[in-house]
Amino acid sequence: MTISKLLVANRGEIAARVLRTAKARGLATAVLSHVAEQEGPAHLIADEIVMIEGPTPVAAYLDIPQIVEAAKKIGADAVHPGYGFLSENAAFVAALEEAGVTFIGPTSETIDLMGDKVRARAFVEEHGFPVAPSAIEDDDPASFVERARTVGYPLLIKPSAGGGGKGMRIVREDSTLETEIETARREGVRYFGDGRLFVECYIERPRHIEVQVMGDGQGNVVHFWERECSIQRRFQKIIEETPSPALTPEQRDEICETAAGIARAVKYRGAGTVEFIYAQDGAFYFLEMNTRLQVEHPVTELVTGFDLVAEQLRVAAGEGLSAAQADIPQTGHSIELRICAEDATADFRPAIGDILLLDEPMGEGIRVDSGILDGGKVTTDFDPMLSKLIVHGPDRAQAIARARNAVQNYVILGVTTNTGYLDEILAHPDFASGDVSTGFLAEQSETLTAPGEDVSDLLMAAAALSDERLVSDVMQIPEMYRKMGGWRN
Amino acid sequence: MQRIFQIDGEETECWLGHDGSRFVLNTPNGTVACQLDPTGLPGGYTLRAKGVVRELRLAVGPEATFVHMNGRTYEVGRVDPAERLAGSDGGTGDDRLVAPMPGVVVSVAVKPGDTVKEGQPLLVIESMKLETTLTAPRDGVVAEMPFAEGDSFGLKDILAQLAPEEE
Repeated sequence: MTISKLLVANRGEIAARVLRTAKARGLATAVLSHVAEQEGPAHLIADEIVMIEGPTPVAAYLDIPQIVEAAKKIGADAVHPGYGFLSENAAFVAALEEAGVTFIGPTSETIDLMGDKVRARAFVEEHGFPVAPSAIEDDDPASFVERARTVGYPLLIKPSAGGGGKGMRIVREDSTLETEIETARREGVRYFGDGRLFVECYIERPRHIEVQVMGDGQGNVVHFWERECSIQRRFQKIIEETPSPALTPEQRDEICETAAGIARAVKYRGAGTVEFIYAQDGAFYFLEMNTRLQVEHPVTELVTGFDLVAEQLRVAAGEGLSAAQADIPQTGHSIELRICAEDATADFRPAIGDILLLDEPMGEGIRVDSGILDGGKVTTDFDPMLSKLIVHGPDRAQAIARARNAVQNYVILGVTTNTGYLDEILAHPDFASGDVSTGFLAEQSETLTAPGEDVSDLLMAAAALSDERLVSDVMQIPEMYRKMGGWRN
Repeated sequence: MQRIFQIDGEETECWLGHDGSRFVLNTPNGTVACQLDPTGLPGGYTLRAKGVVRELRLAVGPEATFVHMNGRTYEVGRVDPAERLAGSDGGTGDDRLVAPMPGVVVSVAVKPGDTVKEGQPLLVIESMKLETTLTAPRDGVVAEMPFAEGDSFGLKDILAQLAPEEE
């Protein structure tokens, strides 16, 4: 099938990024927008803007019937979901299929399978790929404690219905296992109304490493190498890079081939990411598969030279994969920084405000995927991520240097952002040596948010001299008084 | 002419004057001769003060001035002392916790009449799927906790009020 008109069912930086590639491939393009939304780069790129409605802007972007109707109304023959919102929603895929509109992504069956953590894990294990030792209470409640014991220590108890770290308990000794299970059960009931549990082997100081895969839906799958995503706050990534500084060439081939193998086993169609937990001893275990384009896909694009959205569009149009595995290089080093409207010194509290001045860095090896425009407003309607700064350099040290220089020159005035915090992370010796785990930001929070050099006198001078009313008031005072320090009326 | 500037929560009273050839800023730390000249860039200035020269980018908002300098971004709150006196209702900014954004109260840890220490958790709120614990800005006695668990609140609503400090 050919695709001639694409609707991007998303917003912000990812909508703009997808639209750019679609336009470059000669497609007619459209993007969704909500009345409460600020004008963004996507609105300037798309040929057409389709207004959607809902009680909240987010609700509108999750409204399947309305979005399918929008696609039909404007004659779009394909929909790109971006990430988040409906990108991993099997019902959305089914509704589009029914309407005769191509979904840029995997089948609804694949989304269903990989969206269910327990089923996905079982599928991966059955096909002989590594999963962390675990025990699921539901499999046989009577033997749960015995099976938990065989997982070994330390282990992690998690509520089956849980998420976000709530109700999780680490157990290091057998003597406390049963009391901890009871505590976790009570917490599960309290937080999620569901006391069912599972345990898995607890990995000390783990790293998060994931692999980009692309499949044609016929069983042909290639990988586009790994991404290291251990720099996380509140369980969300804020810096990603490739190659991972942790892997030897042999380990890299092994983890990437494992990911491709898992994708082959589901006859994966389109772009996907297989996430792994990587232990300090080099062992790695399947965590989950994300059946969409990831936020951090640009680092992969910069080291491989491939446009992953173009690959997605090719596969969706039935043109197959554009390259064989041997033709996909991993050249140099790339780092992505997620620029977020948040206060890193106040527990990453999301910030709001008007963008009074925006000046994005430019130059060799610098890419900015932005969702904001100068003069826009940052509200709480959407995610606090404003844009992504992605750099490429010949090696890791040069990529870090380039990233630091670029983030220092990223000017966003009017709303608090994390640019200074990101630079502190890049400047940390443990980041430079690559010795990090997913706990790095929490462990180093004091160092990373320590106050910098005191420049308050300079700031006050700048604030005073740019205050037009203050300056004009001062100049109206008769000269003889103006000169007197501490003059009072 | 006076201004109160607020940087990282700390207020500093300053006085700006002009000695006939240049501006001088009197701060509690001393007197700073200073000069601010526009460059060609939007919001671009060259600041000369304290014997240093800095290139900076600057934007003046309604309540704060934002400055990008040395690769960092700073927010300098501006308070006109005359307006502060006029608007005074006996309470100071220190007495209350104001909602940084709209959200929902997850839990409330104290009740009116409780004695609290600086940094002690008062309530937990959820905004944009993130939980944040709000703590007492100083030692004192809780006067009001206007919201209960599960209540929604709007931007800049008062979430906790301490009794005024007795002198």
